[in-house]
Amino acid sequence: MSKLLIDVGSTYFKVCQTSGISQYFRDFKKDIYDDLVTKCGNIFANYQKEDIFICSSANGGLSTLIIGLTNSFSLKFAKNIAFNSGINIIDTILYSKIEESRAPSELVDVVIIVGGIDGIGGVFDEKLFDYLKNVQYSNIVYVGTKQDVSFLSAHIPELKVLGNIITEKLHVNGGELKEYLTNLYQADIVGKEDIKHLYEITANQIYSTPYIVNRSLPLIDANFEVVNPFIVVDIGGATTDIHYSRDLVRDNIVSESGYDRLVFKKLGVFKSRETLIFAAKNNEFVYELLAYLNVTENILEEESEKSLRILMQLSIFLVLYKVSRLHPLYVTLHLELLNTIVLTGGITKVLSYEEVEMIIEFFYKKVMNLHAIPNIVMDSDYAIWTLGMENNENSAS
Amino acid sequence: MKVVTGVVGNDIHVVANRLIDISLQARGFEVFNLGVNTSLEEFIDAVVETDADILLISSLNGEAEGWCRDLQFLRSEYNLKEVIFVIGGNLAVGEAAQSDIVPKYKSYGFDLVFHQIDLNTGLDEIERFVKERV
Ligand code: B12
Repeated sequence: MSKLLIDVGSTYFKVCQTSGISQYFRDFKKDIYDDLVTKCGNIFANYQKEDIFICSSANGGLSTLIIGLTNSFSLKFAKNIAFNSGINIIDTILYSKIEESRAPSELVDVVIIVGGIDGIGGVFDEKLFDYLKNVQYSNIVYVGTKQDVSFLSAHIPELKVLGNIITEKLHVNGGELKEYLTNLYQADIVGKEDIKHLYEITANQIYSTPYIVNRSLPLIDANFEVVNPFIVVDIGGATTDIHYSRDLVRDNIVSESGYDRLVFKKLGVFKSRETLIFAAKNNEFVYELLAYLNVTENILEEESEKSLRILMQLSIFLVLYKVSRLHPLYVTLHLELLNTIVLTGGITKVLSYEEVEMIIEFFYKKVMNLHAIPNIVMDSDYAIWTLGMENNENSAS
Repeated sequence: MKVVTGVVGNDIHVVANRLIDISLQARGFEVFNLGVNTSLEEFIDAVVETDADILLISSLNGEAEGWCRDLQFLRSEYNLKEVIFVIGGNLAVGEAAQSDIVPKYKSYGFDLVFHQIDLNTGLDEIERFVKERV
């Protein structure tokens, strides 16, 4: 029985049938359902609802604000768990400095509060409530000492309480929080009104695309010339995802899965083009990089095919930069150990292998001081996504 | 009573650290052992997270001085007046006189200083100090 696989991105729809993959540029004036039906309605007619599988990354990415008692434990542990759940950290607040800290101006999807091992009480007080008055958030979760639970619950409406992420031996216990954040992410993507509508097309559960890609990672080496450890960089229209083997991290934090992922919410080449350009202009290497690519800064303001290519190259550079040791805010990957870089997403349709190679060479030479670069694999027919969809569906049934 | 312990700085001498962990537990303390290679900030943060009563730092390779100058500053950041600060091991490079070492580390903010003093002698003194405080 043949299946129809659909990926709803913020810029493109991808539709995969046995005959091959086609992609359609989104019409932002229409809602997702109407747009999809207009473009692919005739294809749907050939399939049963049971045989249609959809995943979505449209408008993906959640943001979090973390309030923690210390840098070395509360904040470090929570940051790590949030990153590994694919959540964007917009700020971290050290509790002792909360009175001087500014509330973020944007709406925060989830606030995480953490501090203290179980058994100690009175960690948090009125200062927290005063601060929260100025924060706009959709969810709030507490993962600190048990002793403060009733006090905080009494003062913070809708507070979700999970097990302490700091164990009695001061180690990290991320399971519950990670599950909560991953579910929130999933719910956010597939719970959008736009997406809910898609259940008229499919009888199957809609998943988030990063979840699907993550599922295919253990199978990747069987299908590609990939040698572990590897990373998969998925540069999309609104966000950029990076999936990586845990072997690339040395953070003594134990994780159940062999692969984790990070989402950079505002590093996409279409919908978040402005923030991408902003990030690029603030990067210390950018002028050298533009010179290396034989273009000037003006190219970034242009609306041309050439400018899009340069932006895509820049986003590859920025993503690698953000996970390198030059950028300690994010998880640091040991990129010197990396054997393979797999590129997927819209960018593989635009950039040539040589253009990708060029930028990766620049990165390794300038940032890593290395002349040898990892093996590059271009997933230009979305095989990773198809693999993840098929695998997910097999294990679900 | 809760004690946070570990070896400060780029110091990897681990044997004493294990002995300290075991000895403290045998004396009935609740121990949070951060192990070797621990920064001063991590020590202070661990005291804050656990609400510990004692911070017992050890240093064997002679580098302690460089790491401990910030103690007063960090101590005031978190308002840790009640916590007892202890340091021991080899607190200087090469030969050094107790009469020089002890006042120096006390001026950094340590309550008790044990330069090349046997562990059990040191721990006895810590317990005495605790009793006197109460
Ligand atoms: C084994 C050893 C190593 C091993 C460590 C293996 C390991 N992972 O533990 C290796 C070979 C790796 C090593 C490396 C180095 N070492 Co080394 N090492 C030793 C050695 C021989 C024994 C240490 C030991 O384990 N002793 C057994 C334990 C039980 O005793 P202890 O450590 O002295 O601890 C006792 C007391 O100090 C005390 N104590 C400790 N902390 C505290 C805290 C309190 C509160 C109290 C009350 C008491 C207390 O109680 C303990 C039990 O009685 C000593 C020399 C010696 N004989 O002591 C040198 C020695 C400690 N090392 C030394 C040096 C210089 C180094 C290196 C810098 C050498 C180099 N140039 O590379 C490196 C440093 C590496 C690093 N980054 O830290 C010097 C330090 C000199 C100084 N402070 O002036 C020593 C003293 C040798 C010397 N005489 O020169 N070393």
